[in-house]
Amino acid sequence: MSHRTVSAPTEGGTDIQIQSLAKSFKDFTAVNDLTFEVQPGRITGFLGPNGAGKTTTLRMLLGLVRPSAGHGLIGGQRYAELEEPLRVVGAALEATNFHPGRSGRDHLRVLAATHNIPDRRVDELLQLVGIPAAAKKRAGGYSMGMRQRLGLAAALLGDPQVLILDEPANGLDPEGIRWLRGLLRALASEGKTILISSHLLSEVEQTVDDVVIIANGRLVRQGTIEELHGDSSTLVRCTDPSALVTVLDAQGMTSRVADEQEHGPGAVEAHTGDMTAVGEAAYAGGVVVHELRTLRTDLERLYFELTEDPEMTDRNREQT
Amino acid sequence: MMRLIRSELLKYVSTRTAWGLTAGMFLTGIGFAALFGALFVYGDILDGVELSEVAPPLLLARVIYTSAIQFGYLLALVIGVLCIGQEYRHHTVTGTFLATPKRGAVIAAKVVALCLIAVVSGVVHVAGALVGGGAILVSADLPVYPEAADLTRTLLLMLLVLALWTLIGLGVGVLIPNQVAALSLAIAVAWIVEPLVAFGLTFVEWGESASRFFPSQVTAATLDIFTGANDTLTSALGGPSDPLGWATGATVLLAYAVVMALVGLILTRSRDIA
Repeated sequence: MSHRTVSAPTEGGTDIQIQSLAKSFKDFTAVNDLTFEVQPGRITGFLGPNGAGKTTTLRMLLGLVRPSAGHGLIGGQRYAELEEPLRVVGAALEATNFHPGRSGRDHLRVLAATHNIPDRRVDELLQLVGIPAAAKKRAGGYSMGMRQRLGLAAALLGDPQVLILDEPANGLDPEGIRWLRGLLRALASEGKTILISSHLLSEVEQTVDDVVIIANGRLVRQGTIEELHGDSSTLVRCTDPSALVTVLDAQGMTSRVADEQEHGPGAVEAHTGDMTAVGEAAYAGGVVVHELRTLRTDLERLYFELTEDPEMTDRNREQT
Repeated sequence: MMRLIRSELLKYVSTRTAWGLTAGMFLTGIGFAALFGALFVYGDILDGVELSEVAPPLLLARVIYTSAIQFGYLLALVIGVLCIGQEYRHHTVTGTFLATPKRGAVIAAKVVALCLIAVVSGVVHVAGALVGGGAILVSADLPVYPEAADLTRTLLLMLLVLALWTLIGLGVGVLIPNQVAALSLAIAVAWIVEPLVAFGLTFVEWGESASRFFPSQVTAATLDIFTGANDTLTSALGGPSDPLGWATGATVLLAYAVVMALVGLILTRSRDIA
């Protein structure tokens, strides 16, 4: 087992609980009996194809959309009950939520005014997200990446414990994505609770600790990214696969000759992550090893398998 | 609450629309007061008799300075509608309700902010009317500011009317989040539907008492400029024949605004912001 050390939830952190949440519109169910938790001090990826119900879920959690059933709680409270919400939760929902005629800085000042947050903090954040000069211009001319940065600055205004970002990587260039990843890591290490949604697992795979995958408004998988990877196994390429299987078996390690189509000729898949033990067993058994590596689950493929159930995709076609 | 009001005021002044509307308030004031002033002073509206000879100076000044108010209150209506319509149109309402999930408090802050905005815009409009109308009165050698106390009261009532129309605009905007629909509907009702219905009502017995409650009639009543003037003169100048008292008028306008805002508020509380 090669699980990354799981940090315990930080003392005093704020968790998010989604409990039996549901939303039905006139002719379809957007979110269906959804339950999951988001832990403090960790980055949780909220994943699902477009139209899976991610945005509706987040909007219900934030009190913008009224649930048909169930509720979302932040630190045990409903969003609407929070006295100064921006100091508890920072949310960036869509990069389009700006008046084209108002400057980015003024957008932040308008929000800051509701919580008595000084202009100094506004300018600090514009500096942090890297658009101090552009923010003085009208938001109508902003690129997608600039809107994302402005949205992030807005979310951080009240220095909240919880950060909820809807598709934050959309429109960012590779450098921007790397920057965002570093920022989120730093914030999580301060004990903040971070929930980011994405329709692409690969986009957030390197960023998140936990994943919640939904499709068709339902939960299909939840766990740490390691759990999603499953127990790792080891691939060994050698001169005599069947001999190696016997040797490993004698050492108490189960294995099988791997599928030639998938892994090429002469490969054995050992059901252990301990490459040292495999290598030593092969040496002791006199089997010549040509290749020895960890075999990980192809997450992208797993993700598609989970979310592209025929039943699941039908609804998306109807929707789009 | 002060924070929310400050946020709303900041929203208003941080776009160019605000400056456009303020300029509009000034320009309509100056332009129409000058136009109607010229018509009243130099035009032949009483069959050969000069209006300035029969009308007391106070009445003449009042009629001229309030002559642009129809355009003024239309702009006030627009300010009110945009105050909420822009938020839905550009989705800034998401951020607004995230910062303040208590939607009633947001609307209340908008009401207070709009009253302040209306007073400033109103002062600008009145200043325009004084400049435009005053210029005509000066040119004809007529008193520019006769009976200061009574004329000042009229100007203050103009501010009241503009503030109330701004709130009516907010009511319409809250009720109909689509700002284009809200604007078209509000303007159509104020300028087209109402006069047509009022005209239709002149054919029925109870029509006159009903049309007294129409927005433009109520507005004219609230301005209260024809009190004490004789009937011939009043009807020649297009004044209402049997208006409500000014306080009743103001109350009716306020009632329009309150009813629409309350219905809108109830809808807003349960409305999904998607």
